[in-house]
Amino acid sequence: MACIDDKGNLTTTAKKILNAVSEDFRSPEEIAKDTGLPLFKVRSSLRDMKSMGFVTESEEQTYKIEERARTLLSKS
Amino acid sequence: MSEFVNQEAKKQEEVVNTLPRIGSPAPQFEAETTHGTIRLEDYKGSWLILFSHPADFTPVCTTEFAAFQEIYPKLKEMNTELLGLSIDSVYSHIAWVRTIEEKLGVKIEFPIIADLNKEVASKYGMIMPEESKTEAVRAVFVIDDKQVVRAVIYYPMSAGRNMEEIVRLIQSLQTSDQHGIATPANWKPGDKVIVPPPGTQEAAEERVNDDNVECIDWFLCKKEVK
Repeated sequence: MACIDDKGNLTTTAKKILNAVSEDFRSPEEIAKDTGLPLFKVRSSLRDMKSMGFVTESEEQTYKIEERARTLLSKS
Repeated sequence: MSEFVNQEAKKQEEVVNTLPRIGSPAPQFEAETTHGTIRLEDYKGSWLILFSHPADFTPVCTTEFAAFQEIYPKLKEMNTELLGLSIDSVYSHIAWVRTIEEKLGVKIEFPIIADLNKEVASKYGMIMPEESKTEAVRAVFVIDDKQVVRAVIYYPMSAGRNMEEIVRLIQSLQTSDQHGIATPANWKPGDKVIVPPPGTQEAAEERVNDDNVECIDWFLCKKEVK
């Protein structure tokens, strides 16, 4: 998984994205704008983090952080 | 049985030799890359240059990678991403980009597909069996923001690609889309563009009398675009 390293810590990209979705549901386009990350990277990382239960996806395809990831984020 | 095997081998060869045509939807894929798992659909809304190289740690490819990185900032300004591919492992790619950074001082920022099973290379016809059955040739696919193949360039293994031409090609395609025009030979941004030729005698007559275009003849007229 590209969102956590071999020690189980969040990667820099993952932290940026999780911070961007820590308050409200955001679209990949908004996240890319906020973080300065390329849109393709935001989309692939969100897919990765969704499969790990780090983010939840709305019907409108916007994303918000899950508690599990919030805990990891607070530790990093 | 042997007939069946022959047919299967023929089918496989056809798949290897097939390439997406200009104007066709770009074949979708999901692939392991140096930036994690990426799908083609992740690039929707951006233009993409999907390019293959024969192998990591080879001299021509190394110069090309440094050159691709050099044009990457300019491409990003044009809403265009880069995605490399070769039939090497992700570990080989990682080692190679680290070597490029160490030896050439160039940090490769775009992802590279590790296409060990040749799945993407086969979909895009990047393997030319007459050249090599195990390595991709130097293919470039320009895919637009709607995921349509807009241009295809093929170079043999011995010739490194020209980055200025790749940038110029994107500029030409995007200018054509924006203004509904075509671009002449050796066109560069700022040069006059070609107005589509008129389709009727009446339109041809009007065209040659149009003060807003510069005509050599009714079918070859140019104008400035901003």
